[in-house]
Amino acid sequence: MPTNPRNRLGDLERAVMELLWTTDRSHPDGITVREVHDRIGLERGLAYTTLMTVLDRMAKKGLVNRQRDGRAWRYTAASSREELTSETLHHTLGELAGDERRSALLHFLDESTPQELEELRAALAELERRRPDAAVDSDGSSDGSSHVSSGESSGDTPSPVRHRVS
Amino acid sequence: MSVAALAALILLAVALAWPVPRVMAGLTAFRRAPRPALVVWQATAVAAVLAALFAAPAAVPLFLDGSGPVDEQLIPVAVAALLSGIVAARLLLSGHRVGTNLRAVRRQHRELVDLLAVHGDTQVRVLEHPTPTAYCVPGIQRRVVLTQGTIDTLPGRELDAVLAHERAHLVARHDLVMEFFTVVHEAVPRFMRSSAALREVNLLIEVLADRAAVRETSAVLTGRAIVRMAGGPKPAGTMAIREAPSAARVRLGLLDDEARIAGMPPALVSVGMYAFALSLVAMPFALLVGALTGVTAS
Repeated sequence: MPTNPRNRLGDLERAVMELLWTTDRSHPDGITVREVHDRIGLERGLAYTTLMTVLDRMAKKGLVNRQRDGRAWRYTAASSREELTSETLHHTLGELAGDERRSALLHFLDESTPQELEELRAALAELERRRPDAAVDSDGSSDGSSHVSSGESSGDTPSPVRHRVS
Repeated sequence: MSVAALAALILLAVALAWPVPRVMAGLTAFRRAPRPALVVWQATAVAAVLAALFAAPAAVPLFLDGSGPVDEQLIPVAVAALLSGIVAARLLLSGHRVGTNLRAVRRQHRELVDLLAVHGDTQVRVLEHPTPTAYCVPGIQRRVVLTQGTIDTLPGRELDAVLAHERAHLVARHDLVMEFFTVVHEAVPRFMRSSAALREVNLLIEVLADRAAVRETSAVLTGRAIVRMAGGPKPAGTMAIREAPSAARVRLGLLDDEARIAGMPPALVSVGMYAFALSLVAMPFALLVGALTGVTAS
């Protein structure tokens, strides 16, 4: 993976967040810079002060919260991975004003209303009718448009293939 | 007198900034030729900017020509200088503002995505979320972002179509096309802006990316991917954000690229559109030369 300094900083922030996310049950009050250094700094050969700087930066960015505990700070993640993911995706969908949103991030699709979805399905059926040869392309989903379903429950998070870059 | 050429320049600038984009946004048949259509849009914007910027130099001979009464020449000269000056200033300002904003938003977003990704390679990042969403974060450190919901919803070949679409955006630097239009869009006074024009340009970019997906997979697979992405589970409360009808239906209708455009073969139409784009950009130059040499006087 990337090796330039900025990406190494990104990797470090990532490792810190992973640590805070995985220790939030066992350490609800947060962990100190010393503990972060012991857990991820030593193996990377990083100085204690480097992690102090990184955590300070992350606090300023609002990624982590901190509380005084005697002479040290205790750090916790500002939000869980799930919350931050939702926020990030919502940010892409709505927070930016129309014109700028459109050019800041290029989205595959805008949102569709249920009625538009009906029209979309009809148009797809029409396309599939005109291009019967393409049915050969379908991989395992050869049942065509009839199974392009919308109602899948989003209650359970689908099982992810967790693959951490460490 | 080169007043006629000067007046034509000013008229051209105003026409290309205001009524022309509104008319062009309605000419939906040309969406079937997305690449030349984008070139025509760019030519329109460039020609409008050039016409406005050329107004001041075109007024110079008028200023130097001491034959007529002074106050008669003062008005056209002042109008031309004002137009060019305002346009130049607004463009610089808008370019700076839009560029800075876009880069800040993208950097912030890219950092978050990198932080949150559960897996990914050098460019693709996967976020742990059930809603099927795919987008790209353009820039030097570009990213394609997918949700786990996208991977779970789309069969492999349809996922290929979505990835091909996003890669096409990044490789062809569609973000720069959009940025250019956003800069010009925000440089013109608010009452003259046409959101329909900006939307149309955005649609053409999507159609181009869809074509790349069709080439890599097929029209049907790309169509299925669009419908499946549109139909996936949605988080509550995101529906209200939409300010225009979904482009998905239009894009679906444009996946078949063999259709004729206005009864003519697409290749012929494309050539005509490129020629039109070229003549649009040539026009301000011709008028400037006319104004400077005074040929329009004879």
